[in-house]
Amino acid sequence: MRGFKELNPAVIMLYYLCVIGIAMFCTDPVITGFSLAGAVTMFLTIDRKRKIGIHVSFFLLFAVLALINPVFYHNGVTVLFVVNDNPITLEATLYGITASAMMISVLYRFRTFTMIMTADKLMYVFGKLSPKISLILSMALRYIPLMRSQTSKVRNTQKALGIYREDNIADTIKGEARIFSIMTTWSLENGIITADSMEARGYGLHKRTNFSVFRFTLPDRIMLLVFLALAGITAWAVASGEAGFTFYPALSGVTLTPLSITGYTAYGILSFLPPIIELKEAVRWKYLISRI
Amino acid sequence: MIVIENAGLRRFIKTAFPFIIIPVFTIIGSTVFDSSKHIIISLGVAAMTLLVFISGYEKKKTGTRRLVIASVMIALCVFGRFIPIFKPVTAVTIIAGIYLGGETGFLVGAMSAVISNIFAGQGPWTAFQMLAWGLIGFIAGIASSPLRKNRALLLAYGAVSGIAYSFIMDIWTTLWYSGEFVTEVYLSALVTAIPYTVSYAVSNLVFLLFLARPFGEKLERMHIKYGV
Repeated sequence: MRGFKELNPAVIMLYYLCVIGIAMFCTDPVITGFSLAGAVTMFLTIDRKRKIGIHVSFFLLFAVLALINPVFYHNGVTVLFVVNDNPITLEATLYGITASAMMISVLYRFRTFTMIMTADKLMYVFGKLSPKISLILSMALRYIPLMRSQTSKVRNTQKALGIYREDNIADTIKGEARIFSIMTTWSLENGIITADSMEARGYGLHKRTNFSVFRFTLPDRIMLLVFLALAGITAWAVASGEAGFTFYPALSGVTLTPLSITGYTAYGILSFLPPIIELKEAVRWKYLISRI
Repeated sequence: MIVIENAGLRRFIKTAFPFIIIPVFTIIGSTVFDSSKHIIISLGVAAMTLLVFISGYEKKKTGTRRLVIASVMIALCVFGRFIPIFKPVTAVTIIAGIYLGGETGFLVGAMSAVISNIFAGQGPWTAFQMLAWGLIGFIAGIASSPLRKNRALLLAYGAVSGIAYSFIMDIWTTLWYSGEFVTEVYLSALVTAIPYTVSYAVSNLVFLLFLARPFGEKLERMHIKYGV
């Protein structure tokens, strides 16, 4: 068994699709709670920088988003208080809190997604979908560092020639514009050379093959089935209407039936699965080290 | 991509998706689901549109040079995103659409959204960003000849597309927050986004004003010299 990060990119993609999809489409306090808790735990296990700033900014965003709904939306039967003839209702307040918790959980998920799905993994998934698009993506990704290094070369040359000056803003803008113009011409010409070189080597004659280091192993298959099963159970519970929550006009309350409890449990497991896998691997690593 | 051998079936899918399946999906979705699930429909339509475009592009015979030039334009878009406050992404997308055709414009817009989000952070908004920027490039490609001739029209298109981009993204924000379209929430989102909207419109104007002519000349030269 490997860590969550080492799974096949397609499986990771599917996991994110399931867990975020369910969180986004079910505005249900239980599911949102599980989603937020799981997302934050996952972020904490993966994040190595341990900066507090991101949590503070997410919390501030949460507070602002939670306030928007009761202030602008006045449906609901339970009026808490009245401000300037506008009733602030309990239902709208609770909906605001749930919806913003959902949004923050999705933002946390995407933070970890960006950390885990590096460019090579994205390329692998895109390559399966469309070889041509994946080729364009990989070339564009390669051009960015190339352009950066070429820009510094051009800037140094301009300085050595005495053309580029930083005396005042007008000069700087003029100089930067000239560099951008040079860069555009250079990269377009360079692109043509690349294309001719590709054609000379036989691009487009045969079907393109692509190499990747990712394999679809047994653990990948098992995890794929587990993810699909858990997401399926949750979707079934939600679609049957037993696991659901309505805010307007009055709060419905969480219904507890065998099916809804199974659905909620399945989503809870799905949400917490990656940190559990990561934690298990970390414990095993510590254990193996202690044995040496 | 799954290659469909039967040409008739392929043609059927090509026409069925944009003209039958997507409208039917939208209508059925909006009547069967209650209004709180409108977000599913919007996300589904966005994903299907992108898929239709990508599979169409996959099948098309594009020259190698055209392909590489498209990726160069994408890289220029993303490269320009590191400029603080003013983002040339929309301007470069519009120029690509005008001089390289609508399809390349769509591709440049959509793909620069993906790549710049690799650096800036992916989110559920990626699909909508791809669609919004892609459409801006595509429309620029359709209206290529009037935009090429009339400079004032080009600048107006740049400013309008900056505002439209913000408006489209705010529709998505509203749908995401409320599940359905709530006018009050949409208006509040628009009001909070005013600084961004203005910066989009202004940066499009500025970049098109300064970039359109020299950039166009360079691409025109590519066309004459290499036939791209």
